[in-house]
Amino acid sequence: MQAGREVPTTSKCVPLSLPKGSERLCELCQGKAHLQCRKCRVTFYCGAEHQQADWLGIHERICELLVPIRTSTPLHPKHADYVELQLKKVELAEICRSVAQSKLSERKHLEALPAAQCCLRCSVDIYGPSTVQLVPAYLLLAEANMGLGNLALVGELLCQAEWAVLKSPDCGHSVHQQLHRSLGRLHAATGNLEEALVNFGNDIYFSSKEHGLDSPVTCAGYFLMADVFAKQGKLPIVRSLYSQMAHTWHSHLTQLLKAHGQNVHYPNPLLKASHDKGQRLEMDEMLRTMLAFQQNDPRNDPTQVALVSHCLAMLWFLGGDLEKALGFGGAALQASQLIPNYDLTEPIQGLLQLVHDLHTDPRPGSD
Amino acid sequence: MNAAARQRLLPDVRTRSKGARYRLKDSLQTDLASDKPAQILSKEDVAQSRNSLMHSICVEMLRGGFHRSFSELFSLLSSEEAQRAAAEPGSALSLQAPLAEQQDKLETIRLHLCRAEQAERTGSWSVACDQRLLLGLHFSAPEDLWLRLHFYHSCADREQGGRSRPATEARACMAELYLQRGDLEQAKLQAEACLKQAEDGGWMDSAGQPLRLRARQALCRIYSRLADAPPAASDHHQALTLLHRGHSMAAECRWSWNSRVNGAACCSGTTCVCVTAEDKRLQGEAACRLGLAYQRAGDHGTARKLFSTYMQICGTVQDTDGLGEAYEAMARSHDSKGNVDEAVRCLEELADISRSNGMQHKLADACVSLGRIYYSLRQYTRAWESFLQGFAVACDVGDMALLQKAQVWAATARAHGTMRDHITDVEAATPVALQRLVAWKATRGRQPLSADSAAHTATVHWQQHIGQ
Repeated sequence: MQAGREVPTTSKCVPLSLPKGSERLCELCQGKAHLQCRKCRVTFYCGAEHQQADWLGIHERICELLVPIRTSTPLHPKHADYVELQLKKVELAEICRSVAQSKLSERKHLEALPAAQCCLRCSVDIYGPSTVQLVPAYLLLAEANMGLGNLALVGELLCQAEWAVLKSPDCGHSVHQQLHRSLGRLHAATGNLEEALVNFGNDIYFSSKEHGLDSPVTCAGYFLMADVFAKQGKLPIVRSLYSQMAHTWHSHLTQLLKAHGQNVHYPNPLLKASHDKGQRLEMDEMLRTMLAFQQNDPRNDPTQVALVSHCLAMLWFLGGDLEKALGFGGAALQASQLIPNYDLTEPIQGLLQLVHDLHTDPRPGSD
Repeated sequence: MNAAARQRLLPDVRTRSKGARYRLKDSLQTDLASDKPAQILSKEDVAQSRNSLMHSICVEMLRGGFHRSFSELFSLLSSEEAQRAAAEPGSALSLQAPLAEQQDKLETIRLHLCRAEQAERTGSWSVACDQRLLLGLHFSAPEDLWLRLHFYHSCADREQGGRSRPATEARACMAELYLQRGDLEQAKLQAEACLKQAEDGGWMDSAGQPLRLRARQALCRIYSRLADAPPAASDHHQALTLLHRGHSMAAECRWSWNSRVNGAACCSGTTCVCVTAEDKRLQGEAACRLGLAYQRAGDHGTARKLFSTYMQICGTVQDTDGLGEAYEAMARSHDSKGNVDEAVRCLEELADISRSNGMQHKLADACVSLGRIYYSLRQYTRAWESFLQGFAVACDVGDMALLQKAQVWAATARAHGTMRDHITDVEAATPVALQRLVAWKATRGRQPLSADSAAHTATVHWQQHIGQ
């Protein structure tokens, strides 16, 4: 592992020694290149700093994949190897996309930038400029830049994406939904709240069409929308949105927990795949925001507090962090005891019992 | 855009000359310069024309924060879509316009759902239910029945506000709808719940009619329909219990109306009269059904009592159809108890009523029944007259089955009559009788035994019928 993360050595690349007309540009900033990756020999950098960033961001994953793509001469579409090469490029773009996505959900915006950039470059190479297939790449780039605060750049990128979508309106609900979500985020960040609401409205509409009313994607749209309403000071709407979301998530997590219950003594890879670390972090953040809202709400509704705390406890239990699960479960139990005849008290106690069992017997499956 | 601007934008095509195109271009340019806001469409306008109707309405709701309304409308539309997809091509469902394309309906749903959600946010549950009730009442077309049921259910089955006035009215409406559709169990469930709530609350419905009464009326109908449902004669007891409940519902209805009308008249006189008449009729019908059930069960005394109640009620509300029915049923009861005089009286009443009200079928029936009673009493002449009358009416109506029946009966009665006359004459052996016999012998059936020619007609009828 450690060896893999080591940045490989580079060789100097003297621009004057290159064949005429083939100027080498930095992978990240498109500036004049002075260094060359020694491993693949097809990637160039302006300096060690950018090479380091690219290595961390994406190059480590794709270094060897780049070799056949970049060394081959442009082929005619009827050439025998053309299809194979295209497939390799598509694969490369997909790898870049997933890497960027997972870095973004882990909130590593700076690290996500090289991957997103590479994804965009690759997509342009495959599909041509300003086609609808570039939209995911644009959105990834925009999101990374949004995290870094480059709002002007985000605006430009989203403009490009919007134009591509406008040119082919039948590109599918999912693309529309992602574009509207990014636009909504941008508008919310720039303070254009009304416009943000329209975008999030579209986001929710399209994601309901694509994934259904109760899907986690739609829920995330509601969460963003609630945030805008909170900025506008419309607390009753926020309260109502949060309570609906809490219910939806609660039923999702209860189902997951039930599925988990079937093989409770084994750490299951299936759930980790469906709910990877990044997604769990996102959910955790949303649920925490909701919990903080409920606790600070002058109306202080213990049912909502219990519901959200129970959600968090289940989430962390599924994520394997028993300490946190115990903490939130305790809070949920405390809140639920304030309500007479609350139907969640029993499931909460059941969960706490489960956590205790695991605590006292940490490696049940080892023998 | 005002009229002048439109005129400038759209030059008259009829007076178009060679230079018109250039002038149009000029005018557009000046318009752009002078009247900018009218030219540039807002972002909303663009979105509205680009997106589908359903899309615009959903986004409009969401942007106002009405996410629950959005979810509801969205799931309504998707369930409709799923049903349409499952329906066979060419069926009624696939032919009518989808809800997603009917702007006025969608707008109405949006408006009321958003109002309901707004009210729910502030905790005024009753207002929220009211809006849902309005939605349920709004749709009347038969293809929108599912929408009505959805909104009534969503109004009545709320956790909060489920016991409010609008929710109770929604239950009454649902009971009536289910009754129409023949879903008696659901109808009964809703009507009983409605009655319970209405009695606690003492509410009026939107038209000013007490909900309690509406529930009772519905229940009365439901019980009688339920009593019809078990196979006849197999379970009298159950049917009787149901009908008793229906009857007592109707009676309570009457009673509470009377007390209300006597007490404080809070609604206008005409509606009161109208409603009481309707109630009375209902009570009468309930009594009649109960009477018929008793008749089937063989308890003719109770049946007669109920029929006379029905008669009285029909007399007050001037329901001649009902009156006829009552006399008919009454006559049947009397007849089966061997109470012939009473039965004859009832049937004669029935014949009179039918004759004066032009109820020909009833009249023919009455005549034939009367004839049969006379026939069984061996009063052949009267029986024959009655049958003949029935025959004539049946001819007028063109009821073939009844006509043939009357024919046969009339001929039989006449034949019996002639035979009896013949035997009397033979046994009497007086000169007058003998003369009559000799005269008749000469013609042998071509001529009637007595002087009247009616016997001949009967014989002809008889032969006709045999011929058929």
